[in-house]
Amino acid sequence: MLINFNLNNENVQVDVNPKKRLLDVLREEFGMTSVKEGCGKGECGACTVFLESKRVNSCLVPIFQVVDKKVVTLEYVKSWEAYKILENSFIENGAVQCGFCIPGFIMSTVSLFNETDGKLNKPMIEEKLGGNICRCTGYSKIVDSIYSFADDNAFLMKIKEGFKDEKQ
Amino acid sequence: MSIKRSELRVDAKEKLNGEAKYVRDEKIPNMIFGATVRSSISNGIIKNITFSKDYNWNNITIITAKDIILNKVSFLELDMPFLAEKFVRYIGEPIVLLASNDRDELNEAKKHVFIEYEEFPSIINLMESENSEIKLYGSNNIFKEIKINKGDLESAVVEAKHKISIETETGFQEHLYLEPQGAVAIPEPNRVTIRGSMQCPYYVKNALDKMFGGEKKITVIQTTTGGAFGGKEDFPSLLAGHAALLAVKSGKPVAMFYDREEDVRYTTKRHPSKCFYTAYTDDEGLILGLDIKLYFDGGAYSTLSSVVLSRGALTSIGSYYIPNARVIAKAVATNTVPSGAFRGFGGPQAVFAIEMLMEKIANELNISPLEIRKKNLIAAGLDTITGQLLKYSVSSKETFNDAIFMSRYQEKYDEFKKHNKNILTKLNNGDYPKDNENDKLKGIGIGLSIHGSGFTGTGENKIRGKIRCEVKDDGKIEIFTAITEMGQGEKTTFRKILADALSISIDEVLLSEVNTDLVPDSGPTVASRSTMVIGSLLVEVADELIEELTDILNTENEKGFVYKEGYFYDGDKIVCFSEAAKKIKGKHLFKEYSHPPLIKFDDINYIGDAYPVFSWAASIAEVEVDPVTFETKVVNFYTSHDIGKAINHDQVIAQIQGGCLQGIGYALYERTEIKNGKFDISGFNDYIIPTLTESPNFYVNVIENPYPFGPFGAKGLGELPLVGAGPAVASAFWMIFNKEFNKIPILPEMILEKIFEKEGTYVD
Repeated sequence: MLINFNLNNENVQVDVNPKKRLLDVLREEFGMTSVKEGCGKGECGACTVFLESKRVNSCLVPIFQVVDKKVVTLEYVKSWEAYKILENSFIENGAVQCGFCIPGFIMSTVSLFNETDGKLNKPMIEEKLGGNICRCTGYSKIVDSIYSFADDNAFLMKIKEGFKDEKQ
Repeated sequence: MSIKRSELRVDAKEKLNGEAKYVRDEKIPNMIFGATVRSSISNGIIKNITFSKDYNWNNITIITAKDIILNKVSFLELDMPFLAEKFVRYIGEPIVLLASNDRDELNEAKKHVFIEYEEFPSIINLMESENSEIKLYGSNNIFKEIKINKGDLESAVVEAKHKISIETETGFQEHLYLEPQGAVAIPEPNRVTIRGSMQCPYYVKNALDKMFGGEKKITVIQTTTGGAFGGKEDFPSLLAGHAALLAVKSGKPVAMFYDREEDVRYTTKRHPSKCFYTAYTDDEGLILGLDIKLYFDGGAYSTLSSVVLSRGALTSIGSYYIPNARVIAKAVATNTVPSGAFRGFGGPQAVFAIEMLMEKIANELNISPLEIRKKNLIAAGLDTITGQLLKYSVSSKETFNDAIFMSRYQEKYDEFKKHNKNILTKLNNGDYPKDNENDKLKGIGIGLSIHGSGFTGTGENKIRGKIRCEVKDDGKIEIFTAITEMGQGEKTTFRKILADALSISIDEVLLSEVNTDLVPDSGPTVASRSTMVIGSLLVEVADELIEELTDILNTENEKGFVYKEGYFYDGDKIVCFSEAAKKIKGKHLFKEYSHPPLIKFDDINYIGDAYPVFSWAASIAEVEVDPVTFETKVVNFYTSHDIGKAINHDQVIAQIQGGCLQGIGYALYERTEIKNGKFDISGFNDYIIPTLTESPNFYVNVIENPYPFGPFGAKGLGELPLVGAGPAVASAFWMIFNKEFNKIPILPEMILEKIFEKEGTYVD
């Protein structure tokens, strides 16, 4: 079946089984390998992408559900100014180990700021990132990397700018 | 030469932006997929394998045991087949391999393979193995038995005032690395190349060399590896073997990519254990003698069980001085998935047992948990279970005192006891225990741990880890080693050691990809050995380079150059390292490791220096328990680690936090059992590991008590954080309930059972 959707701000078309998972379509048809499969059951968060600006586990989304919708992956987000700042924070804080969960954490973090208007406290981070599992770090340094922007308005504006770009 | 405190990880950026290529991210032309048909019974004979005649097999490559030249996976012994031929030993044992370009078709094809068995009774419980009529291995199902005797236990028994016993039990633990097992085999006429997620490329190469009987040249390339924790030490040899067999027969690259369910059901786990400890003490709790029996469940084949058991036995007295002891340790066979390596490697089971024994002695003799440990703590000048006299880098007391001080243990212990009294009284009386919805029982526990750095016994001298370094045209130095990055930070650490040893920038040191055609066999990336063992070779390389370049400059200039902070200097001329190094561009330096001659061990009788040095830790866990739901959480976790020298401080802290959280998971959440012959889990939904919500606030201190033979004084780190975390958590439950907690994980239903236990009271 021909499926049309918007991927990373471009209209795309793909001919696949409509039941195919968004995760597989992104990886196999479009080479979006930042989207990782950790569990295939919506439990680990490694395959997090944005669907209509909301984060979803792409392993639980059949491709027919994205027809005419907007899908965004880290391949696009990584060009945002906000991403560069976040990337730097994760590096400086030593928050990355094996790295397999990390793209998912970045996507959830970006979404977290967008949804909470940036006024974050640690319990909110815990709640919103509770669906992203990491086996290496003990989470502490990941939280440190994020918490440093807890009330950073300039950073929040950059996140919003990213999402605005995407809506154009 | 001095070591910089911290260096940012060299691999962080590409992992953050998603450009790092894990094995599933690589584009390999014409690649097809492999699948495994597995045994549906726990024990029996394969009578017949039939492939349904109604099914079209044209597009499917099929491999059975008959296709394999040497059908044994080469570990320490040759007992495990790549594919079962005559008999099967566990549910899930691979029997047939299939490959196709269409994954849906593979799933369908699997249904058309019929295996007829003659089924036998099976052994599931490890305690039933040794005396079972069912024979899985040798005459008594024992893969390995270790006996250690120290001093004179019999006279200690006579002299002692108290005899105190405990039985402990630990379950399976699943690694749950985020990236499931995966390997691709790429065939060429006389060669097979493996690309995959793994810890030990030379283990894979050796296994495949043997499997093909030398008929194929084997190249193994490690791809970016998404976590391992021991789970990618032994298992990838089997998986790569499967991929290679299918690749050679089909003539196409074949991917063996496990999904999460296949991974958690059919790959290795930590050995479950049953430990029996009897201590003979004086009136003050000083242990005069200790009688220890350890049983480890090895599963269906021997894999690494003998060495896991060995580390367990050698760690069985924990951080304590025991003058008289007897250890009998057995790894036994059962009809379950073979157990394998997991961070800690026998240590966590044994340390849990000895630490719970400490709790029990404290409890029975009414001594505080601190006092009992302090009284029995080992120290420099005393000897271990094998008579290894501790001479250097001993921080048993320092870590102990540091953790107690940092956590304000004693103060909190008293405060929490007082706080809990009211809640426990209500529970005891059968009243609703909460005055406020947020009321929680509060506990504080302590756990001490020890981990020998590097291989056990003479292992390092047998394997002789090798590295090669090459001087590049621009004067940079490239390191070639088979040690792998799996998240622990090796890429940064190795470059940093050589850079710091030469006082140059980390950018002037390169690290080759891990490809067995390029890198020498450095030994496996296991046993907390990489930094200490291979790191020390990097320092030797630096010393040799400086010496040689100084000689060359002196000869050229007829002057006396000295090396100062990255520069050769002779009074009026100064040459930076890379400029000087260009003079020997193309040169290769080879180094091979063996222990300092001082280190001696008798592998047969278990006497002497079992490890060149130990790393030390003391951990304190603050735990909260909901008195209604018995939901548990570690709120604060304090730990003090002596690892000789922190090579990369920030990443040391990161690794300690991560390891401790795995230990916390082991103690409170991580559970799988054998139900109807197989693991009762399918993934993250039913095998619970700590998420951010279950992660405590970490307070980590690193004590640096240098090991004279390590790079900059460094010794092992990787496994230690996991080893002691579980016991610290369990200790907090003894403190809250004043009852025996001898089994992990401590699940809410177990706490409830303790509450209803008749004997004993949980109110002091």
